Amino acid sequence: MITGGKSLVSSPPAFSNDAKRLLVCTGNTVSIFSTSTGLQISELEGHGAPVTSVIIVPASTPASKVLCHCWTTSLDGKIRLWDFMAPELIRTIDAGFPIHSMVIPSLLSQQMESKGKSPNLFAYIYIEAERQREGQPNSSCGQIRKCNLTKSRLAGGVSLAETHKPGCISISPSGKYIGICETHKLRIWEIPTKDSDNTVYKKIRLHHTKTFTTLAFHPTERVVAAGDVTGRILLWRGVGHRTFSIGDKFINGGLNKDAEERPGVRGNDDADSCTTWHWHSAEVNVLFFSSDGAYLFSGGREGVFVVWQLDTGKKKFLPRIGSPLLYFTNSSDPSLSSISCANNQIHLLRMPSMEISRSISGIKLPNSVSDIYEGSGSSVVFDHTVGFVAVPTDNYSVQFYSLFNDREISEVQICERNHQPGDEATVKVNLVALSRDGSTMGTVETRLPEEGIGGFVSLKFWACGSQNKDFSLSTVIYEPHREASVSSIAFHPDCHMAVTSSYGGDFKIWVCTHDTHLKDQMLQSSGWRCHAVGSYKKKPMTAAAFSADGSVLAVAAEKVVTLWDPDQNILVAVIGDTLEPIVTLSFVGKSTYLMSASRGSNPQLTLWSMSKLSISWSYKLHTEDVTCSGDSSTFAVLALLPKTSECVASTEATLQGFDGAILLFNVENPVPLATWFVSKAQGGRLGFIQKSPRLPDEVTDVKSAHDLLAYMDSNYEYVLFNPYGKQGHNQSITRWQNLSNLEEKEKIGYASIYGELTEFSVEKDQTHIPHIPYEKNWETLFSGPSHKLAPLTKLCLDFLESSLERRSVTVE
Amino acid sequence: MAEDESRISIAKTFRVKPKLRPTSNKATPTPESKFWKSFKIPKDIEFTPSKSVIYPITSIAFSPIAPHDFAATHSANISIFSGKTLEPKSTIASAFADSATSAAFRCDGKLLAAGDLTGTVHVFDAKSRTHLRRLKCHSAAARLVRYPRADDKFHLFSGGDDSVVKYWDVTTETCLFNLLGHKDYVRCGDASPVSDDMFASGSYDHKVRIWDVRVSNSGSVMELNHEKPVESVLYLPSGGLIATAGGNFVKIWDVIGGGKLLYSMESHNKTVTSLCIGKIGKESGEEAQQYRILSVSLDGYMKVFDYAKFKITHSMRFPNPLLSVGFSPDCSTRVIGTTNGTFYVGRRKTKLESDGPGDVVGLGDVEVDPERRVIRPTYFRYFHRGQNTKPSEGDYLITRPRKLKFAVHDKLLKKFRHKEALVAALSGKNTENVVAVMEELVARKKLLKCVSNLDEEELGLLLGFLQKYSTMPRYAGFLMRFTEKVVEMRADDIKSSDQLRGNIRNLKRDVEEEIRIQQSMQEIQGIISPMLRIAARR
Repeated sequence: MITGGKSLVSSPPAFSNDAKRLLVCTGNTVSIFSTSTGLQISELEGHGAPVTSVIIVPASTPASKVLCHCWTTSLDGKIRLWDFMAPELIRTIDAGFPIHSMVIPSLLSQQMESKGKSPNLFAYIYIEAERQREGQPNSSCGQIRKCNLTKSRLAGGVSLAETHKPGCISISPSGKYIGICETHKLRIWEIPTKDSDNTVYKKIRLHHTKTFTTLAFHPTERVVAAGDVTGRILLWRGVGHRTFSIGDKFINGGLNKDAEERPGVRGNDDADSCTTWHWHSAEVNVLFFSSDGAYLFSGGREGVFVVWQLDTGKKKFLPRIGSPLLYFTNSSDPSLSSISCANNQIHLLRMPSMEISRSISGIKLPNSVSDIYEGSGSSVVFDHTVGFVAVPTDNYSVQFYSLFNDREISEVQICERNHQPGDEATVKVNLVALSRDGSTMGTVETRLPEEGIGGFVSLKFWACGSQNKDFSLSTVIYEPHREASVSSIAFHPDCHMAVTSSYGGDFKIWVCTHDTHLKDQMLQSSGWRCHAVGSYKKKPMTAAAFSADGSVLAVAAEKVVTLWDPDQNILVAVIGDTLEPIVTLSFVGKSTYLMSASRGSNPQLTLWSMSKLSISWSYKLHTEDVTCSGDSSTFAVLALLPKTSECVASTEATLQGFDGAILLFNVENPVPLATWFVSKAQGGRLGFIQKSPRLPDEVTDVKSAHDLLAYMDSNYEYVLFNPYGKQGHNQSITRWQNLSNLEEKEKIGYASIYGELTEFSVEKDQTHIPHIPYEKNWETLFSGPSHKLAPLTKLCLDFLESSLERRSVTVE
Repeated sequence: MAEDESRISIAKTFRVKPKLRPTSNKATPTPESKFWKSFKIPKDIEFTPSKSVIYPITSIAFSPIAPHDFAATHSANISIFSGKTLEPKSTIASAFADSATSAAFRCDGKLLAAGDLTGTVHVFDAKSRTHLRRLKCHSAAARLVRYPRADDKFHLFSGGDDSVVKYWDVTTETCLFNLLGHKDYVRCGDASPVSDDMFASGSYDHKVRIWDVRVSNSGSVMELNHEKPVESVLYLPSGGLIATAGGNFVKIWDVIGGGKLLYSMESHNKTVTSLCIGKIGKESGEEAQQYRILSVSLDGYMKVFDYAKFKITHSMRFPNPLLSVGFSPDCSTRVIGTTNGTFYVGRRKTKLESDGPGDVVGLGDVEVDPERRVIRPTYFRYFHRGQNTKPSEGDYLITRPRKLKFAVHDKLLKKFRHKEALVAALSGKNTENVVAVMEELVARKKLLKCVSNLDEEELGLLLGFLQKYSTMPRYAGFLMRFTEKVVEMRADDIKSSDQLRGNIRNLKRDVEEEIRIQQSMQEIQGIISPMLRIAARR
């Protein structure tokens, strides 16, 4: 079983102390990536729920730099301490509540303190607690609690704050303040340097008219920056002079300023001044002060990384990141930091020049606004032979992702258009199809009209040169079916033929023609042409499929299935009548069965026998996706569990958040061979993948010849398993070992600037000098009158040479 | 290298690109069709209709000897044209009692023979036009006269409407053999290029007969059934293949292989009237020095047929029905004669010609290499030295990343200045770009907003554009609806301005025109579609 496709950007990543590793929360695990290669090297496994935060224990002394400990929190309520180089678990603390965020202020302040024995390590955790209130038994709320990590327990009943929803705690770089955003206000606490179980916290609130999204503390001064949903950045200076400075004996002049003298500060907030910067057009997600406090970094939905000079408000931009920014993380290496983007990419940024040196990309997440294209089918397709999945992305391209390696392979730009992350999607790649051998890709993109004008559909065929999936455009067909949109594309299994069906009531068969009239110039032009057009009673064609040998083309005309001879374009037979329009058609392997699935109020999964032209059997199932294995006569169905059934209450306990089931069928038998329950099945996909030779094949019986089944849920997290074998064997452990070798050794000092010095040998020079000192040379060397002696520089060499013991001449 | 790899571009920027046009085969002509197109009417001589004759040009023959003069028969004349200048050199008019037919040069180009409709075959001196011999034996019009092609200078053969093919000894004016066998008019024939004793004749009895004068008494040695009255017979240069034309098609026969039909080329729409051998006179290229069959037909098409691949490689259309075709052996001239007496002469510019007279050669030597000056640091050029160095073969080229050039509207779109981008595109020349910008604005849902923001002058610009292009089929689908929307949105502004009203009037006129066209096209469709249906049923 292989799992993957996890979101890399669910929570902020963290750099290790030497900035060579990046720890990223990926689902229930923490993945460790090398910053020099961008590849995953190991994984921390142990949490039972998504990991929400990872905190590196900083190295207070150079000696402790080798120490690679980190704290992680998870929604399963556990706080764990790891040695991430080993990687092994050191400690586990059970907090009891789902933890959404954790900060450990004393880790940061320790650096500045003298190396004493720190009594207790306190962490502040933002947990999801149940609200103790009558009437709303199930409502949850956020609570900030204090946790004594040394004693592994929650600090006695202290709850700093209670909010409606748990979020993220921000901490100042010095570890002195922590703060949260709560709708229209910021709440900031001062953490005393001598923290203990029961301390009284000084706290202030800052108010604003808009909802806050993020918050950042200045490293040295009392400056707080906060971003809101409208794109404004508010910058408070002299925060908390009144409240915090009394204890600190801090001399300040602005203590008793009047409201008029505190420009921009709202109401009775405790700040000297508040300035507003407004450049971002949409929500600000990222705010971060540079370590020297001279710059403020910000980023938001429009995908532009902005650097503000704090004193002047001057801006520098890193535009066209292409996706909303989510987090910014800096490392101990001042030139390296990372940006996490909403499209599941982490860019490693070389700082002063703001250059992206490397990108770690996960599978690109589904478009949130894809609902407007409902009914046009899901567009994620599996490449059967090499185990790739093709995912259309927001920026009008198709990403190829290797399921076995959990890594991006390539990205093909389908539509050459500039992508603005904040925009409403009006252009979308909504159908992708791959030919069986993976050499040809067909895509359909739709442009939505503006008030009925200017919308069109274009069909594109792509040809692939190599295994690396670098597709090049072969043919563009604008409006392949007049104005109607395309419902499906299917490729002929053997020859260059494809069929597109449309809701406009016809289907077209396309063939690839090769013209090689210019042989001497090696100019080849190949293009796809319409070979035939067919329609059946002007009914919308909703799905199409070729049989395994390509001799029969099945096209669903709403509720019936029409069978055609694709070469001659002759209607062979019409079968069946379902209750709802058919959305999926598929021939089951090489058998003589055709499977159809329809949705709607009377969903149906039907198996048709081609030899008898009649229904073999059918189920009333809401089918999300079906897939057929290439050669055997089995197929798998992803069915949504019915929500309105009366047995909900009884099955609730057993299903535990599962909303779908994968059923594996054989054509002969309506009883499924196997069943698995899955979660997030709505919008999920299924695919049979050929077993890769790279996989460690621990099952070497006959069944290993079968394909693997891949299930991808609506969040594009996938699992790959052998549907015929026993479950539970985990193959992913050995996956990273070969990758860790790839990590290159980082050069330091001289080598980092000038490269490695070539080792030159001194011996080489010596061999040229025919210099054979005789025995006991030094005895006679200095004898004689001094005016006859040779110059000392000459003698010295002779002397030293003779005094050294000669090696015997066995070297030759 | 590592540095190059590490520099990963995040997001590319794209220009606003118009939709691609469909690529047609015509857009990329093959080298061969380029060759055939290169036959152009020479600039210095014009075969204007006034200069050409008014009667059908029944035959064209090229002299096999350079400079390849050619003779054409029309009415009772033979005109001889200079092969060098293409000017008419002389005309033989007095010799014929009736229309002249079938001119033919002897293998050395010194004699010219032609038949006439009275049945006489005339032999002339090609240079002096002296009438040397009259061969009178045919009882009806002599339509076929040919000399043997190899090196026999004493004989010729003729065929006539009396369905007899005769073999003559020219010196004595005697008919050596009467070759009998055809049952209808003999209208065409050709001598074998390899043997002096063999020739083929085609007749209206649908047959092509191949004769061998060595075995003349036993009739024809081979008989090919063309299945249509044969209009032209052509021995292909190898001597093993024969092309015959008749009806709407040209057939290729294998003579050595027992008269097997190899291919039937059926792409003419009317009777194919004449064939001749063409040769691609290029030095290089895949098809250099290959032979082709040129066929002309009454449908006005000249087709070039590659008989090795059985493929038509080029096709040319002329406005008149074509009767005869000739191609000079040096591949420089192509002459086509029509039914109304017009010549279509095409001449290809060759290198020999461009070299021209000797004085050009004299100029060539004047240019001497200028002395190379040593570049010193005091020269400005010193600092540019080596910058123009061309890479040698094995060099690994590191190219500077290509910078995208952005047009004005692209830059404005990047800055989200939508209306200005639209106006910038409209004031540009390129129609495709305007439509592309409009489509981009649609994708941003800003087009109608832009229209509502246009001031009067800009609106005039837009209406002018819409008037011009909204009826163009490529853009009509999008622009028609857009025009409707624009007029609807800005009705008040249009009413208040005279100029805009003028624009709208023009627009209205164009749209009405388009509607008329559409209606008449629908009528045509109504006529055609039942016919197509009937045709499909068969």
